[in-house]
Amino acid sequence: MQKIRPAFVFDENLNASFLEELFEGDTIYAETVFEDFLKDLPEYWARVETAYDNKNLPTLGTSVHTCKTLFGYVGFTDLQELCQQFENRCSVNNAEELRVDYILLIQRKEKAQHIIEKEYARLRIFNAEKD
Amino acid sequence: MKISCIIVEDIQIAADFLRKFCEKSDLVEVKGHFMNVADALEFLDRERVDLLFLDVEMPGANGFDLLDRLTYSPKIILTTSKTEYAFNAFQYHVDDYLKKPFTYKRFMEAIEKLRQQQAAESSPTTTFSVPQPDNDFLFIKSEDKLIKLKKDDILFLESMRDYVKFVTAGKSYVTYSTLKNMEEKLIGQTFLKVHRSYIVNINKIDDIRGNTIYVLGNQIPIGKGHKEDLATRLNIL
Repeated sequence: MQKIRPAFVFDENLNASFLEELFEGDTIYAETVFEDFLKDLPEYWARVETAYDNKNLPTLGTSVHTCKTLFGYVGFTDLQELCQQFENRCSVNNAEELRVDYILLIQRKEKAQHIIEKEYARLRIFNAEKD
Repeated sequence: MKISCIIVEDIQIAADFLRKFCEKSDLVEVKGHFMNVADALEFLDRERVDLLFLDVEMPGANGFDLLDRLTYSPKIILTTSKTEYAFNAFQYHVDDYLKKPFTYKRFMEAIEKLRQQQAAESSPTTTFSVPQPDNDFLFIKSEDKLIKLKKDDILFLESMRDYVKFVTAGKSYVTYSTLKNMEEKLIGQTFLKVHRSYIVNINKIDDIRGNTIYVLGNQIPIGKGHKEDLATRLNIL
C-alpha cells in the first residue's frame, strides 16, 4: 500500500495560508524562491544600510520598499507592514528620529533571514525525499 | 491569439513569478523583461505589445514616467506593493492594479478582465461615421440615443476606461467605446492624440502653457511621448 506523503507545512512565523495559495503546493518552486530571497536580500539590504548611513531618506524609503516586496514573497506579511510604516516615516522624519525604528527593523530582518534559511533547508530536504 | 506583453520590474523574484504565471495561463506571451524604464522604452520604440506589466517604484524613472512617454496605448497592469498609487492609477486609466505579492488566481482575474475588454473592443462599435462625401460628422450612441455630432464641434475626447467622453462647447456625451477606437476613426488633419487619455481637436486649441493645452476653459495634459508630434502638427511661427 502506498504511503500518503504529508504536505509541506511552513514555519508558524510565516503566513502559511498565503504561501499555500501563492505556491499552490509547488514546493520545488518555493525552494527556488526561498533560495533567491536569501541571495537577493543581502544586496537589497546593503542599499538600506548605505542610505541610512548617508542620511539619504528618499533612497532609504525606496530601498526599504524593495525589501518589503521581497519579504512578501516568502510570507512575512507582518514584516511587510512594519516596512510600510518605516517607509512612510522616511518622508516625514529625519534619520535620528528613525533610529529606534531602524534598529527594530534590522532585528526583524535578521530574524526573518534566519527563519528563511531554516525553511530553505527544510524545503531542500522535503523535495529531495520526494524524488 | 495570445496577449503579447512585457514585464517592467526591478525585483527579479517578482518578475519570475509574473513570467511563470504568464506561461502557466497559456494566454500571455512574455516578449521581454526590463529592470528599468529606459530599457523598456527603448524596446517599445521598436516593437508594440498588447500589455505592459508595470512596476511603479524603480530606480531612476518610475512607472508613471513610462506612461507619460508612451506614444501608443497598450493595456496596462500596474504591479506594486504600495496601495497609495491607486489614485494615480485611476488618473492614468490603467486597466488593473495588482498588489505584490499576488497569487495566480488574482493574476488570472486581471487577464480575464482584459480579455473581456479586448472582446468588447473588437465587437461592432457603438460609434460610426456616416459615409457622406464630406464625412464631417459622426453619430455616437449615448443615453439610448444616436446623437449626431459635427466633428468640427468636438473640442476633445477623454478616455474613461471603457467609455469615451466627447466634449463640445455646450455639452459632453459619453459613449461605450475606447479611445483607441476613436483614434483610428478621427486621427487625421484635425484631431491629434496628445496624451494617453486625450485626443484634441487642434482647431479648438486656445493656447498651450507648459505641458497643458487650454481649450475653452478646459485643461488637457500633454504626455511627454506626444510633445514632438504635437509640435510638428502645430504651425509654430
